[in-house]
Amino acid sequence: MERRNFLKSLAAAGMVASVASPSGLLSREAHAAGKVNIGEVKNVKVDVLTETSWFDNDILKKNMMDYGGAMTSQYAIPWDPKNAGGYAALITVTELDGKERKILLDSGWSNEWMDYIFQDKSNVASMLKSGEIEFMVLSHWHLDHYWGIESTLKHKPDITMYAPKTFYPEDMALLKEKGRLTAKDKSGEEVLLCKNDVPHTGKLILCGPEGEEGSGVHKLMPGVALRMFDVPILLRVRGENVLYFNVKDKGIVTVTGCCHPGILSLFSFARSNFEGYKPYGCYGGLHVSLFETWDPKFDDLIKGVKSFQIAKMGCNHCTGWIFAEKADAAGIPIVKGTDKFKTYTRYSTVNKGNNVFLTNGDSIVF
Amino acid sequence: MSAQSVSETQQSFVKGFISFIIIFVIVLALWHVFMDANGILKFYTPMLGFSLVAVWLGSILLISNIFELSPFREEKMSSSGGLGLGLILTALSIIFMLIIVYGIFWNFIGRFGVAYFSPASIVASGGTGAEPFVARENASTAIIYIVTAFIWWTLVWDLGFGAWPWLDTSKGVRAWSKFCSISVLTVLTYAILFHPHVCQLFYPPQDKAGVSPWWAEFAGTGSAFLSLGLALCSLKWVVISDLLWDGYPWKWLGKRGQGNFIRGLVTLVGCLILGIISMVVLLKIMNIYWMEPFEGGQYTDAPYFRYLHAGEISGFIVLAAFILKTYFNNFPNLSVLGSSALIRTVIAFLGGGLFYAFYYSNLSVMLLGKVPGVAQPDDTPLVWTMLFLSVIIVHAQFFGGWPLKRSKS
Repeated sequence: MERRNFLKSLAAAGMVASVASPSGLLSREAHAAGKVNIGEVKNVKVDVLTETSWFDNDILKKNMMDYGGAMTSQYAIPWDPKNAGGYAALITVTELDGKERKILLDSGWSNEWMDYIFQDKSNVASMLKSGEIEFMVLSHWHLDHYWGIESTLKHKPDITMYAPKTFYPEDMALLKEKGRLTAKDKSGEEVLLCKNDVPHTGKLILCGPEGEEGSGVHKLMPGVALRMFDVPILLRVRGENVLYFNVKDKGIVTVTGCCHPGILSLFSFARSNFEGYKPYGCYGGLHVSLFETWDPKFDDLIKGVKSFQIAKMGCNHCTGWIFAEKADAAGIPIVKGTDKFKTYTRYSTVNKGNNVFLTNGDSIVF
Repeated sequence: MSAQSVSETQQSFVKGFISFIIIFVIVLALWHVFMDANGILKFYTPMLGFSLVAVWLGSILLISNIFELSPFREEKMSSSGGLGLGLILTALSIIFMLIIVYGIFWNFIGRFGVAYFSPASIVASGGTGAEPFVARENASTAIIYIVTAFIWWTLVWDLGFGAWPWLDTSKGVRAWSKFCSISVLTVLTYAILFHPHVCQLFYPPQDKAGVSPWWAEFAGTGSAFLSLGLALCSLKWVVISDLLWDGYPWKWLGKRGQGNFIRGLVTLVGCLILGIISMVVLLKIMNIYWMEPFEGGQYTDAPYFRYLHAGEISGFIVLAAFILKTYFNNFPNLSVLGSSALIRTVIAFLGGGLFYAFYYSNLSVMLLGKVPGVAQPDDTPLVWTMLFLSVIIVHAQFFGGWPLKRSKS
């Protein structure tokens, strides 16, 4: 950080010399900073509890369009409750001595869907009750990752929770104050958005980009670090927690909720800040063509991922099927899913059945 | 300078400052009504609002720069004040905006020619992702790009070519000829710099209608934000040389200050070169601040964001230049133009810096309903900047500075 501030102060002076350099518009030099040793894990497994945050893209977009678009507060839109699902993953870390430890990533959106996921389609409910799941990491405060928090807290109200420090009052009301949040629809009628009858009583660790003791990360256990990226996100949300795993003999793996900062930015951070950086893989929503549309910048991403030489890419949720298909066709090592999603009561309308997503019920091991 | 003229100058500055504050408040009010995500109409989706503001600015320039307020010019010059004329011309510009967006693009060109200009045609074409929200955003993106080209050519033409080659014709002939010429150049510019991007907004990409972005290899991105950023960086020098340098150095190439072909060509190339240089400088500064961008990076790591941001910074400087010219008598007015021009330029850059600081401050989070932070993919300061510029031009050109007209220094 000190180096960066120093560089900022030199910006004006260095500008002239910099312009005179023959490096072109975008040079490729790396900027190394003070590096952190986060340790190592033997392996990490991610179980896809649910990646279907909503079931119908068109309904979600219509809700957004009718109430103001991407910059509107998520608490001001009367979302169609029938379209709500949720995002959550169960992460199992095997330490170097073989001991397994579990983390819950996110708690979904609809309580009805999340109860079904936690109780009927997995053992998460019992693992929460028994304390087998040590803590929960909230990736960010978006509705589809957070509004289903009651489904977690009803089994373990005192669970330790890591969350971005960039919350709004509504977020905290839902977490701590038995919040019942509503929004008005066009007819003026109040629509229930989310509720939580089980206030959180455990330790809440609010994460910022400064990390622990200015290191830029929170070390959760040996080989596992959390980094909060303070980026502005659509629907008035800000900041995302990202999990980094350093898998012995393989390299860095990222696990994300939505990956709003961008997957290559995550690896770029690791390259600049972690000792012994080597890219290996990623899992999660990658926030690319989430509305199943395209943009030239997504082509940039495909080229960039190839140049970063990631060995395993497990993607779903807001990645977009189009991106996964095009990335797969371009030779990026997309880890394929199975047909287990068909055993669930609902699945996404954009699921093309070609398994480029890791969908509900699938797993990936790094 | 006599005591009387000093007093007049001071009064003029006070009036200018009051006018500026009032305009600033009006812009905030307009933002709240039309754009703010916590406001009333919430057009800032973001592309719909962006396209409406861009087309409004284009309409204002069409009336003021191309048609030279015709047929209302004589009335404007009268001493009766600018309220009536201002209201008429403002209403006209808004009507033009609505006709251009909803009539010409959405329901004429989009329905009978190029489908991607119309949300309805995109939806009707079916396929992945072709639903109303994205369709509207994509159609709006195309409109923004073509209007940007139009605005750029309008201002470049005015500064360089002026009334050439229709110097001895009637105002009507001149206006229509200029309009047609600028429109042709706009379409050509759009086709080469922006159309390839728009064709890639769909799945599968429309590669029979437009080539893949030809700049992708050297720019590190296929996004036309490269062209948008460059256009705005260049436009900054058009505005600076027009407003703050009194048309120099390009004016030296024309007799009696009139435009001609050589002057136009030199202005065009000169402003492009200055734009490229300033864009490279801004990119280098961003590299120092945010480190190097890389292909596939997102937010501040994205090459396309860096190009766009160079344009956004230029937008702030253009805004400051307009304010200096319109409300502060183009301070300072020294006997040597070079010295005045230099100081004005420094003021415009500093003013642009202040607007930058404002837009990314917590104050704007409160006043504009933004999410804190830089490089939010759904936010660009260009919309607020263009709205502000539009209101300033409306106030200066349509209302003649009403109600606080200032004496000329």
